[in-house]
Amino acid sequence: MKRTYSWALSSALACALSFSTFGGATIIGKVNLPPAKSKRPVNARYQLARAQTPDSPSPPLAVVYLTGVFPEISQDEAAKTVEMGQKNLQFEPGLVVVQMGSSIAFPNFDDEYHNVLSYSKAKVLDLGRYRKNEKAPSVVFDKAGVVELSCEIHEHMQATILVLETPHFTLSDSEGNFRLDQLPAGNYTVNAWLNRRTMWEKPVSLKEGETVEVILDGGH
Amino acid sequence: MKEYLKTIGLAALVLEGAFTAVAQTEWLENLDDALFIEARDGWFRSDLSGLIDLETYYIDERPPGLIFSDDEVFFNPRLSMFLDTKLGDHFYSFAQLRLDRGFDPGSRSDGDVRLDEYFLRYTPFDDPRVNFQVGKFATVVGNWVSRHLSWENPFINAPLPYENVVIVTDHEAPTGPGNFLARRNRALGDNRATWIPVIWGPSYTSGGSVFGLVDKFEYAFEIKNVALSSRPYAWDATRHGWDYPVVSGRLGYRPNAAWNIGASFSHGAYLLPPEDPLSPGGPSKGSFKQTTIGHDIGYSWRHWQFWAEAFASRFEVPNVGDADTLSYYLEARYKIRPQLYGALRWNQQFFNKVPNGVGGEERWDRDIWRIESALGYRFDRHLQGKLQYSLSRQNGLIQQGEQLVAVQLTIKF
Repeated sequence: MKRTYSWALSSALACALSFSTFGGATIIGKVNLPPAKSKRPVNARYQLARAQTPDSPSPPLAVVYLTGVFPEISQDEAAKTVEMGQKNLQFEPGLVVVQMGSSIAFPNFDDEYHNVLSYSKAKVLDLGRYRKNEKAPSVVFDKAGVVELSCEIHEHMQATILVLETPHFTLSDSEGNFRLDQLPAGNYTVNAWLNRRTMWEKPVSLKEGETVEVILDGGH
Repeated sequence: MKEYLKTIGLAALVLEGAFTAVAQTEWLENLDDALFIEARDGWFRSDLSGLIDLETYYIDERPPGLIFSDDEVFFNPRLSMFLDTKLGDHFYSFAQLRLDRGFDPGSRSDGDVRLDEYFLRYTPFDDPRVNFQVGKFATVVGNWVSRHLSWENPFINAPLPYENVVIVTDHEAPTGPGNFLARRNRALGDNRATWIPVIWGPSYTSGGSVFGLVDKFEYAFEIKNVALSSRPYAWDATRHGWDYPVVSGRLGYRPNAAWNIGASFSHGAYLLPPEDPLSPGGPSKGSFKQTTIGHDIGYSWRHWQFWAEAFASRFEVPNVGDADTLSYYLEARYKIRPQLYGALRWNQQFFNKVPNGVGGEERWDRDIWRIESALGYRFDRHLQGKLQYSLSRQNGLIQQGEQLVAVQLTIKF
């Protein structure tokens, strides 16, 4: 039995290695992130202070994505469901990136109500008020663009959903480092979205099995 | 008919302004992000925000409640600026400055600038079990205060208990029941400056409060300088001190996020100014109290929100006796679509009987009902439009504001 497990583990590792080595091109790099925004104070002018102190908002991250003409992928493969919760009076995570056609569920993990809203052109929504043990509403994002979310009840809560047409995207870490794997060979543009005012891009030429390093900092 | 067309024309102009503005609110986003200052270590942070309200009222017959204008069509712009300041982990201060045509529409039609609210709050613990607050701030009574600003209020005006002016005055003592009851047949327009409602709007009176949240229970007590029914110019501590302090409070219960249930009270002198005795050797004006008890309930789920409040208030009227009134309202808001909501409010106020001085008893004011409907549209995070229609009916010869059409555009930054 032990031998069967070790054979399976070796096969899985070999498989993973072969994907990383021969699964297309890779871009690694760094985005020069802006400094973190300071924490917006909780507006408690008239309502009594709540039991919870809100968490700090998520640190700024960059969305890095590749644009160009890609080989077609099936819609089933593209559409995914991800989660953006409301936890400790913040959106968690505060930035989500999805491919067009994906669904996002919005569970409430707090004892209090939230009311998730968006008036963005890419998606207008109002999820209403639901408790933490209720089924979380799920929304399909079928138009590319930036969706800025807020909470009608807690003004300090803000989040962003970036809906992309491209299937090739990733989020940087909090230092700005990123890695885009399994990219098709060809000439494309690598983009970094930092916020609604800051977007950077650079052209890249990718070859099968090759790794390209890109620094995205607004320079050329 | 001509007036209606005029109102519709004005409403169309306001809406056109809204549509023009909606395309340009990116700068408001940037402004919203920029209007703060803070210390590098985060110990201090001050955020400036504001509301610009552009309101137009079409008033049928005499204006209702607290609209101080006899014009059939009345335009009321208002700029409200808010300064929220955090000082360390335990102090918070707030100030609200308004530039408008009076606290109540038209009460200073040539223009007015006021510091309507300012307070300092101290929260000694890391949780909200106890907070202390001093300054000039909205009453803790009831549940309407938390949605009284134009961005949160589903309607343009206040519910009936907060704005229906009754024949009790805080300015003078009636000579007797006959003199008091005769006021019922006078038009409110001539007496609006001296008569009072049960609660005057959010009642930004001056004083101190202690409040907190313990598990599912909320409590709030305040000592203020003037009564719930007192008019805006009396709210300031420089106009009226604490010679006759008014005590108010509210106990609330929140079993879960959906429900908020509360009971309130308020007790204190309502006659102003209190310096002179009514008659030599007789009781002072401070001896005549307004006592109010109230119940409030709020419920929300999905796209529905409901609120209801009921207030029983007793005015001790010199030379008359106890004048009691009961007022209540039921209010609902439903979001029809993400940006569009509809709201409906049913209000009533009843008055008990007082001795009429000739051996009988009469109701001391005219019972009233009012139904109000509103449609609101949020263009984005910074722009909102509302349209309201109200119909009211009073028992008696003189009707106040039988019909009211109002339109409001709010820009938030």
